[in-house]
Amino acid sequence: MSIITISSDSYEVGREIAEKTAKILNYKCLGREILSRAAEKHGIPEANLSKALDEVPSLLGMSAKLRERHLAYIKAYVLNLLLDDNTVCYGLAAHLYLTDISHVLKVGIISNPKKIISRIASEKNISEEKAENFIKKRKEQCRRTSLQVFHVDETDASQYDLVINLGQIDRKRAMDIITETVNDRKFKPITYSLNCIEDIELENRVKAVLLEHFSNIKVLAKRGTVVVETKAFKFKKEKKCNSIKEMAGKLSGVVNIEVHTNSYIVGN
Amino acid sequence: MAIITISRGSYSMGKEVAEKVAGRLGYECISREVILDASEHFKIPAIKLSRAIHDAPSILNRISGGKQKYIAYILSAFASRVEKDNIVYHGLAGHLLLTDVAHVLKVRIIADLDYRIGIVAKRDNITRNEARGLLLKDDQERRKWTKSLYKTDPADSSLYDLVININKLTKDHAVDFICQAAGYKELNTTESSLQKVKDLALACRIKATFLEHGFDVSVTSDYGNVLVYAKAGDRLMHKLQKIIKGLDGKTKGINNIEIHSGVPFPHNAV
Repeated sequence: MSIITISSDSYEVGREIAEKTAKILNYKCLGREILSRAAEKHGIPEANLSKALDEVPSLLGMSAKLRERHLAYIKAYVLNLLLDDNTVCYGLAAHLYLTDISHVLKVGIISNPKKIISRIASEKNISEEKAENFIKKRKEQCRRTSLQVFHVDETDASQYDLVINLGQIDRKRAMDIITETVNDRKFKPITYSLNCIEDIELENRVKAVLLEHFSNIKVLAKRGTVVVETKAFKFKKEKKCNSIKEMAGKLSGVVNIEVHTNSYIVGN
Repeated sequence: MAIITISRGSYSMGKEVAEKVAGRLGYECISREVILDASEHFKIPAIKLSRAIHDAPSILNRISGGKQKYIAYILSAFASRVEKDNIVYHGLAGHLLLTDVAHVLKVRIIADLDYRIGIVAKRDNITRNEARGLLLKDDQERRKWTKSLYKTDPADSSLYDLVININKLTKDHAVDFICQAAGYKELNTTESSLQKVKDLALACRIKATFLEHGFDVSVTSDYGNVLVYAKAGDRLMHKLQKIIKGLDGKTKGINNIEIHSGVPFPHNAV
């Protein structure tokens, strides 16, 4: 039950490599198509979920609270699917929230820069120099978005186990490297790593439910014990705690709940 | 047949990986040899050259150009070495000189900071906090050095063909991937890619010569047709012409050499 996450600066390239790798390994392949199912489950437009993943944070864009809620929906849905079979995952930013799980192989794919530049130059009808600047700007936007939304720099190579540049190494060889690597016993799941994924899945499932009613929610889960941290005024504290316990308590996998109320929320 | 450059942070196991790859492929492994070559050729103590390549240039260095000269000597020695092909090089910024060369496999090895701290603390018998401070300073110096010389961040993964994180992946994985990749036909030496390396080596040698005479220039070479770009007024042009006369006919590989003044130099100029 290994998991491979493929992240690429080009969605099409990432998808191609993910789908072909999944085929070679006889794994499931999870991509953006699951957003429609996640959206249906929560009764929201699919476009909102895509926006939460892709839109650069700005004053005029999606609010931070709304984005946090939508991301919780996505994460809970994706993580639930990743509990199952061997899976290759792309386009869902999974590499940014599947941190410290030993049976996850995180691969970054850098597209052939010359091909990307000429494609963008031709699509936008601009010079190759302008296309190159556009790509640099987009990369910086990705970096800022990932930092602000996931508190992780997506462009930092240390976020990945392997980064392959398709400038010199072609796609087939990149897939050979990935399929060979994932067969190593280091990427076979162990009880601890499976427990870690279950804990993160439970955290996000609880968070997704609570964020529908409250803001400023921080959730930690460990083997069924859920700790929720939130803000509350003194006179509303008890009512809020009881509501949280009632909502979260109904969810499967929750064995025990603690609610801590603070005046200030400290980040993860 | 390829040139493999392995870039790494300090204590990221890059040296061990380089040596194993070289051993397995039967390639020459070079690093410090480049400094010794430069020291011998340009008659500069190796320690001065080592410091030039290790420490980021200060403002004073940039004004005086002293460090730039040493770095040019080292790059000249490096380029001359890689002309031979079938080389594994691990050291500072070799890959940045060879960005446009097709038969170069550029690899970066990265390791978790905690892991590196453990190694340094044990080796130097210091506390983890002290080790952490040393490593962060070292990383910062390397970053500043590369940015000042090549206007690029060494941590940018798009500069490399392969970035391997020695965290879950092991040194042996890294060696396997690199050896496999070195056998790809895209990395076979071709006549044109070999010529490119020869041109780079020539451009570096010529630049080093000008720097020896106190002139900071940019140089390109295309099949031995050398263009020297200088910011010199008429007064100094005759001195530059004199240097060129000395080079032309005496330096192997030069078909033609010209000097251009007041013209912006191309991005691939040395």
